[in-house]
Amino acid sequence: MNCYEHTFITKQDLSVDQNKSVINKYSEIINKNSGKILKVEEWGLKNLTHKIKNNKKGFYFHIKFEGVGETIDELEKAANIDENLIRYLSVKVKKHDLETNFFEKREG
Amino acid sequence: MKKRKNIKKKGSSFSKLSLFTKPGMKFFKPCPLSGKDAPILDYKNIRLLKKYLSESGRILPSRITFVSQKKQKELAKSIKRARLLALI
Repeated sequence: MNCYEHTFITKQDLSVDQNKSVINKYSEIINKNSGKILKVEEWGLKNLTHKIKNNKKGFYFHIKFEGVGETIDELEKAANIDENLIRYLSVKVKKHDLETNFFEKREG
Repeated sequence: MKKRKNIKKKGSSFSKLSLFTKPGMKFFKPCPLSGKDAPILDYKNIRLLKKYLSESGRILPSRITFVSQKKQKELAKSIKRARLLALI
């Protein structure tokens, strides 16, 4: 089993329920293809530093999970077709860091 | 022509730094990203990455920031990942 991180940006005009269904869709794909989700982070609505496909803002979601190479293949296959997504990035890491969240410390 | 070029190269290396240091001293600084209590180098750690960017958003060379060769490679990779996600 390998450790992976998957980040994706959804469109600005989606409602809360639509965003939830997007997360459920991708977590199902991970669970079906011999993967195991460890943590899901929501970074919220953020300004994009440059325009992507004529979007200025987007909702950021971040999933940390364990899986095999086929899990990533299925994830990216689904993400390429999806119209709600602006962009995604999946990264392989050596070890998961579940404690630090770089986007929640703003309150302090 | 060749001789002139050689002289220019010798003069240009650390020419700016040598103004502020004593002559004959070697300018050296430890790498800020390696060592025991080094910060986490990651594409999500934007506050750290912004220190190593110029005002126009380009990656600063390691001869200015004194980042080691190994860490500079990791830094460049994580900056490029953050750019892809439109975080920087």
